[in-house]
Amino acid sequence: MKRYIYIVLTILTVFGSACRKVNVAPQNIIQDPDIFSSAPGIQAYMARLYSELPIEDFRYSPARGLNFFWIISPTPATTGEALSRDQTNAMQENFGGWNWDIWGGSYTVIHDCDYFIETLPKYAGSFSKDQVNAWLGEAYFVRGMTYFALVKRFGGVPIVNKTLDYTVGSSTDALKIPRSSEKAVWDQVASDFDFAIANLPAVNADYGDGSRANKYVAAAFKSRAMLYAGTIAKYNTITLFDGSQNQLCGIPASAAAGYFQAAVDAAKMLDGVYSLYLKGWSATDKTAQYQNFVNLFSDASSPESIFVREYNYPNSVHGYDAYNVPRQLIGPNGYSSEVNPTLNFVEMFDGVPKNANGTIQNLDANGHYLLFNNTMDLFANAEPRLRASVILPGDVFKGESIEIRRGIYTGSAAGGISPLLPAGSKSQYPTANLVQSANAGQTAFTLPDGSSMNPAGASGIFTGDQTCAISGFSVRKWLDPNLATSQVLENNETQTWIEMRYAEVLLNRAEAEYELGTSNSANITDAYNIINQIRSRAGAIPLASAGVMTIDTIRKERRKELAFENKTYWDLRRWRIFDKEQNGTIYRVLMPFYSSQAGKYFFDARTDERNDVYTYDPRWYYEQIPGGAISKSPNLIQNPGY
Amino acid sequence: MKKRLYYLAFGLVAIVASSCSKLDNYPAPSNIITGETVDAGTGNTVQTEIGGRGTRVKLLETSYSANPTPYYFQSMQDGTFNNTKIFAATYNASVEGPFVPLVQTDSTGKVTSDQSQNITIKGTNTVTHLNFKVEPFLRVDWVGQPVFNADSTVTVQFKITRGTTNPGYQQDITNINLYVSNTKYDGDNNYDPRYSNLVSYSGTDGTSLIGQTITMTTTGGALPQQDVYFRIGARINAGLDEYNYSTPVSVKYP
Repeated sequence: MKRYIYIVLTILTVFGSACRKVNVAPQNIIQDPDIFSSAPGIQAYMARLYSELPIEDFRYSPARGLNFFWIISPTPATTGEALSRDQTNAMQENFGGWNWDIWGGSYTVIHDCDYFIETLPKYAGSFSKDQVNAWLGEAYFVRGMTYFALVKRFGGVPIVNKTLDYTVGSSTDALKIPRSSEKAVWDQVASDFDFAIANLPAVNADYGDGSRANKYVAAAFKSRAMLYAGTIAKYNTITLFDGSQNQLCGIPASAAAGYFQAAVDAAKMLDGVYSLYLKGWSATDKTAQYQNFVNLFSDASSPESIFVREYNYPNSVHGYDAYNVPRQLIGPNGYSSEVNPTLNFVEMFDGVPKNANGTIQNLDANGHYLLFNNTMDLFANAEPRLRASVILPGDVFKGESIEIRRGIYTGSAAGGISPLLPAGSKSQYPTANLVQSANAGQTAFTLPDGSSMNPAGASGIFTGDQTCAISGFSVRKWLDPNLATSQVLENNETQTWIEMRYAEVLLNRAEAEYELGTSNSANITDAYNIINQIRSRAGAIPLASAGVMTIDTIRKERRKELAFENKTYWDLRRWRIFDKEQNGTIYRVLMPFYSSQAGKYFFDARTDERNDVYTYDPRWYYEQIPGGAISKSPNLIQNPGY
Repeated sequence: MKKRLYYLAFGLVAIVASSCSKLDNYPAPSNIITGETVDAGTGNTVQTEIGGRGTRVKLLETSYSANPTPYYFQSMQDGTFNNTKIFAATYNASVEGPFVPLVQTDSTGKVTSDQSQNITIKGTNTVTHLNFKVEPFLRVDWVGQPVFNADSTVTVQFKITRGTTNPGYQQDITNINLYVSNTKYDGDNNYDPRYSNLVSYSGTDGTSLIGQTITMTTTGGALPQQDVYFRIGARINAGLDEYNYSTPVSVKYP
């Protein structure tokens, strides 16, 4: 009996004690207090927000999306800035092939911002008021950037500024938030940036190197976003309304001026805080101007860099050089020459001899090819910024002359060499009198003087494979001249991406001022002064007067300055001229040849030998909302034409 | 051992086969929609492009929901359409393409005119014929037959006129293009740059050609000795900038 009582007692003790702790948080899941009550916790939260910030950096291409390592259909090869062997036509962003879902992923980032904004104030006691405000400002900045990434692709999207709770078994109707008007989303972007500007300090207290936002970063992006909205209001012609007359695509033209003014005001906030990079610049020395423009992209202390994305080996890396070095400097992975600037792009620059119609001058008055001792002679007076952006045939990179030659012409040179093909011809070159090479394994040709020369240059152009400078040029911008060839590898580089630099802020301001201005107004003068600042830093000839400027002057300056920085793609979209430029278009190339009879070089300007046609579909100005998103929320109305 | 393997194999077959026995419990759709998009002015069907940038039929299944996800199917290039897999239901039907929209809205999104058609399809294997009368942005008509030149290029002549007097769709002509192909499926989506150049116009340059006989000749030297079809596309800067087309015509290689 006594024993029985003991057993009962034991049972009671065991079970009774087990009842004590019922509401224990799971020990294996990180809880809010773990994150929000310490600075390192906040740091970890921010790391995630920034890593998912949708910006088009070294790891972006329209074909494969954001944060993807493999960049072989590069953005410049979709805009006409360049040709690539892996990109043969115009394209819209290929969301179906993206690793990161632009719709679901962006709303995850927005949710993470909303959660942060709702939760941090509960733990405000652990920090100073300034700290809390600054971190909230960063969350608003990231959210504004994410809405910006959505609205520039889709037009009006659902605005979700609070976390949504779903109880299992309850109706999901309240979660199916319809699209807001496009204007409302742009205004949301503006208000998020405004909050960030008001609450962020001048220098980010956690990271002051531009990799995290400060108030000027938010202002710079506000100038970009407001200029975008202004141009949509002014130039867009595609409209879509929902049943309640919300304009999901397009903004009333009357709103344009307000947005342009907001872009100017935001840009002016950066006056005196950042400046154009001029560390090695000299007004009289073109070589110094060239080197200065090159260094701008690698100098960590550049006063021009506003917002950057940093990489770190081996956690977060890219392979820009591996994909883009000229063929003769090919790295161990076997990639090279993915970005080959078009002649159309090169012809935008000053200092290249041109015909009256703006095309490059490669023929003399009698219609014969001009002859040169070296391929660089044609570019002797080229604008320094062009050399810093594009490797011209024969220019020096990594201590080597980059040799680009289409073939050796063996025909007679007496009395001048006539064009190999009639003007405008899209045919292949006639093979009579032409020695060419199918690939990099070349058989040398014996010249009349007994010396030998490979038919094609070491960096191309080869007729059989396209792992070479297919346009006659190779990209220079962003390439690291100090990276050893053995290190030119995929997933190996950590060069910093400059997402926002002061030159863009100035160009945003100039464009918005011009759009606002009437002739000879203060707006136009401001735009004129800015364009000349940009031009003189680039080593271009300054404009003679404000009167010669047109909107195309400003757009062209922007395209030259920001080329190969994944910005032109969005500019062509917002100006709504993508479909005008890519309208059955075959881009132009410049083919250097060596005449064995003359012992000199000549250049043939023609359309892309591959005959790749670019036609931009106007539907693409508003991207297709992913079908999966509409299945989940049938309130989402698809964009026109899909 | 071998016997056991046979048993296993037999068991697997039995399981796999048994999983086939559940048939879809809903009969396949069998109703048919046919019809055409017709130029209200001439009575001809409105020529268009195959693929995503041509005329398409839009069905809203209003018996399912007041605000359903639209179902689209593409028209053929001659402006006729045919779909043999339509469920019995009530639909609101319209067409979208290079013509004045059937459902028009003003600048605030208010519907100002609605010529869509409500149809009810019942039973199985029923055929519903739809005829949409529209005003194409442009009409492109041949003038005479294409002519083979001595150098084996081809010269064509045609006329472009406006198909609508609607003041909202009088934008300038931005493109007038000759397309050359070895099939009749000829258009901007399979433009062959070897045999013709596209012509863009700025300002009123293109518009001033309205009503005139326009002459175009193929480029790139002699055409290859095979079937060759010609088609003219022209467009104004309205909506999604789709092209209006002429009929495709072929000429015999001499």
